[in-house]
Amino acid sequence: MSIPAKEKQAAAPGGSVLAPKTPPDVGARSQRRRIIESMLERCAEKTYAHTTIGDIVSGARISRSTFYKRFADKRACFEATVEHCLEDLTRTAREAQEPGRPPAERLRAAIAAVLARMAERPAIGKLLSADAVALDPTVTDRYRRLVGPVVERLWFEGARPRDAGSDPGLALGRARLLIFDLIAAGRASELPRLLPELTYLTLLPYAGHEEALREADAAARSLERGAVAGAGDGAR
Amino acid sequence: MPGMAPDSPEIPDLRKWRLPRGRHGLPRELIARSQRERLLAAVVRTTAANGCEATTVADILEEAGVGRESFYELFEDRQDCMLSAHRVLTDDLAERVEAAYLGEGAWAERLRAALDAALRWFAADPAAARFVLIDLAPLGTPFRARFHDEFRRFLSLLGEGPEGPPRAQAPRAGILALSAAVAGIHEEVAHGRTERLPEKLPQLLYEVLVPFLGEAGAQRERQRAEAG
Repeated sequence: MSIPAKEKQAAAPGGSVLAPKTPPDVGARSQRRRIIESMLERCAEKTYAHTTIGDIVSGARISRSTFYKRFADKRACFEATVEHCLEDLTRTAREAQEPGRPPAERLRAAIAAVLARMAERPAIGKLLSADAVALDPTVTDRYRRLVGPVVERLWFEGARPRDAGSDPGLALGRARLLIFDLIAAGRASELPRLLPELTYLTLLPYAGHEEALREADAAARSLERGAVAGAGDGAR
Repeated sequence: MPGMAPDSPEIPDLRKWRLPRGRHGLPRELIARSQRERLLAAVVRTTAANGCEATTVADILEEAGVGRESFYELFEDRQDCMLSAHRVLTDDLAERVEAAYLGEGAWAERLRAALDAALRWFAADPAAARFVLIDLAPLGTPFRARFHDEFRRFLSLLGEGPEGPPRAQAPRAGILALSAAVAGIHEEVAHGRTERLPEKLPQLLYEVLVPFLGEAGAQRERQRAEAG
């Protein structure tokens, strides 16, 4: 990846050539978005560790100096990409739920939609379950802080969670692992088949085994009915 | 280490393995084998110290006290060396877990022994634990494939549960149980609490057993594990 000398200069601190040629800031958001999309795709192709700034800028069709105007470094860009993926899945989960439906149904719809989204765009699942964990093995704590309250609010509608014996902290790590395992096998298209397991794991810490099992069975039936997208002959 | 099988001669324990440097008058074949083991042990230690990406072949050679030529006779490249070490470590883990699982007693007791063996194996060497679960992730696809193979291996080792095939339909108890053990261990290793893993036995045993036995059965086994 050869970088024109002009851009290298512009990226240097205090580069005075920068000012006159800088476009108006209207494109900043779309540039940022393009860079994040490029990072997402490059990571899926070759992992974060092997992705270079050169790869990112050529994928985003922007200059290196533009990259450094939007992000301090590769790591900062990656953090923004993680954030972008989490927002994507959060939105997906929210939009999948029909207000007024029973909590179990809304929860199932949300999980199914998230799995379908990751099957459709494996780069998202790969980034969150593999690259982000490689870079920071404790990142699941962050996912947990995001997902936990949503599940609790949805399932209990403000009521105090029953204290089941299973650790809610562990559930998300387990879900992450099952998603990672399918992605590791190159079978992201089968992610929707994880609906029963993920339903079980989501409910187990709050509702206990019996209820989690009932909901997981309901989820399996909805999979069989084809109510949920996703092909493949089981994720076994 | 209580409850551990004696070291198999076929599977070197990379966590303890050291060979004195210099002349040792061993036959050529043995030297090659010992060089291989020395390199495998070195790659684990070097990766723990430097991280995966910063570990070079030169670092491994220096740590092992082995020449570059010998290295390339034994391994294709750095990644091959890393993945070979990963394989040797997980073979060793699987052997110990299986030995415990195939012992005497009721299914839940054997499962407890197997989980206990796994927790102690990881706790015995935090560097090896990180190497197996975390450090090689930057290798990308080859590491993921390796991880997937191991996940399947332990899944089939776990088998069908207490009373033959479990529930025919989803959710699948085996995969839920294994996910509890692996995620539980990963969690402690990621947070630098590897040495305290054996303390997690009662809770993790409960998590592993719930999908098979339900709340009451798993709770009973947890209490037995707490009692020792």
